[in-house]
Amino acid sequence: MAAQALAVAASHDGYSAIAFPFFGAERRGAPVLAFTRFGEERLRVRTQVYEPHFVVVLDESLVETVDVLAGLRPGGMVIVNTTRAPDRLVLSKKAKSATVDATTIALKHTKQAAVNTAMLGAFAKATGLITLEGVEAGIMEVFGRRLSKEIADRNVAAARAAYEATRLGEGDSGRVYAKATKWLPTAQELPPGLATPPMETPFGRVGVGSSPSNLTGGWRVNKPVLDGAECTNCLLCWFYCPDGSITRGEKIVEIHYEYCKGCGICAAVCAPKAIHMEREIEEEVKA
Amino acid sequence: MTTVKDLPREDYFLSGHTACPGCGGAMVVREVMKVLGPNTVVYMPASCLLIFSDMYPYNAFKVPSLQILFETSAIAAAGVKRALKRLGKDDTTVVAFAGDGGTADIGMQALSGAAERNEDILYVCYDNEAYMNTGIQRSGTTPFGAWTTTTPLGSTSEGQGKNEFKKDVPRILMAHDVPYVATASLGFPADFLKKVDKAKAKKGFRYLHVLAPCPVGWRAESDSTVDLAKLAVETGIFTLLEYEDGVLTLNREPRFTPVREYLKLQGRFKHLSEGQIASIERWVKDKWERDRALAKALGPKPKVPVAIVR
Repeated sequence: MAAQALAVAASHDGYSAIAFPFFGAERRGAPVLAFTRFGEERLRVRTQVYEPHFVVVLDESLVETVDVLAGLRPGGMVIVNTTRAPDRLVLSKKAKSATVDATTIALKHTKQAAVNTAMLGAFAKATGLITLEGVEAGIMEVFGRRLSKEIADRNVAAARAAYEATRLGEGDSGRVYAKATKWLPTAQELPPGLATPPMETPFGRVGVGSSPSNLTGGWRVNKPVLDGAECTNCLLCWFYCPDGSITRGEKIVEIHYEYCKGCGICAAVCAPKAIHMEREIEEEVKA
Repeated sequence: MTTVKDLPREDYFLSGHTACPGCGGAMVVREVMKVLGPNTVVYMPASCLLIFSDMYPYNAFKVPSLQILFETSAIAAAGVKRALKRLGKDDTTVVAFAGDGGTADIGMQALSGAAERNEDILYVCYDNEAYMNTGIQRSGTTPFGAWTTTTPLGSTSEGQGKNEFKKDVPRILMAHDVPYVATASLGFPADFLKKVDKAKAKKGFRYLHVLAPCPVGWRAESDSTVDLAKLAVETGIFTLLEYEDGVLTLNREPRFTPVREYLKLQGRFKHLSEGQIASIERWVKDKWERDRALAKALGPKPKVPVAIVR
């Protein structure tokens, strides 16, 4: 929806624009892609964007697993939702960067960790290509029509706050990514038949029982924290955790974070209130 | 009898699946798999479960799993069971996990057929009350008044959420006189595990209907899944019942908490008018009158001396 709002914003500012998502089986919180393309001339290219001028990263944890600068054009810019200053980003290469703590802004204005509209404000500030008025028009058009005016208003407030809070700088190089992170076998490498048996590949286990290769911990906004002294080992959190992130220990339960999506059910079902949720911040803001 | 503490540490539905945070369906599947154990074959139709458990090249089940078509859950699972029997592996449990769309609407004819033939499978419907996978479209089990993308809110009285009441699938299955039909809710773990245990032990067609709140589609907080599952029962909206070998038992007399307590936690009911809430209250009352009468009629049979044939 934000990509669409950006396209409306661009069109409001006199560009021609298109936007579309990457079609897949997205779930709330899962990594997703969306594209916006705008320019002064009529757009004739309708493919996904492979060589972007700007990359907007809505969740900083993505930077650890995905080379977000892959395909970025020389002189391009990356805009990241993080509490870090732009100069403290470590990416695969040096690049102009802008950062904003959109999660805090979104939580404050929209009461949800939906950071996409705040990032539109950051985009307007960082690139200077789109006006803040354009962004507001985009949000009102897309969110106001599909959700409600009240929700759109709150999102506009978030975009405005992010516009003010965005800082510009240059990210550092030095992060090294594995060459490929996906298992993309050729037809010859695939075993015959329709099913994928359990197999070890250079990219981890695939096939039956292989989902633990897929770490879902990066989806999280808040993380559960256990106060061991209060735990009565009733095991309700262990029973209810949809992601199997809680294990039974010797005396009390243990929380693991590799797969935890931060839904907060463990904290909600904990009768002695031994588990509470807290915002996960990778690094405090440096003034 | 399995209690929470007796459950194995081992999971057969593994971490790393891609369900939304707080997914009730994922909870249902994880707990049912814990009880069923390693000697199980799973069938899934097109559903959220299929998408979040089996995204190529990953698969979240530690046991063999199979998908064919949306409408084929019961019949495909029955086929697997017959083949296993033929191979001398009759001790393997075959379970079909289907959503409410794949059960109440699209999978109904195969389900009815398999139930009528009393195929030896366990059919678990995780009921999240709409087609959540494709983006919250109404299904037969979507409750009255609920907003979905195909029952949108308009300006007329027609356009205020779904106009029909929830389809009672367990009652349809009871009409097939299968060995075991039960409803369960995540909010009541002991009752839930007891029913999965029973369903595992029995032979013949077993149907388990589990309410699986969907925070995304119900427009609720992701940590409210369990509360919603509890409140649905305590308000009387979702009945916990068991139909075992021709005897119907209502497992829990709810507290009849006002339905508003349940509705107000969910954005999909935010628009409800007083009139609509009154309709829901009336529906709950009528449903309980009907279910109580049914339970009385289908209660334990008095022991009658068997007529001696001379």
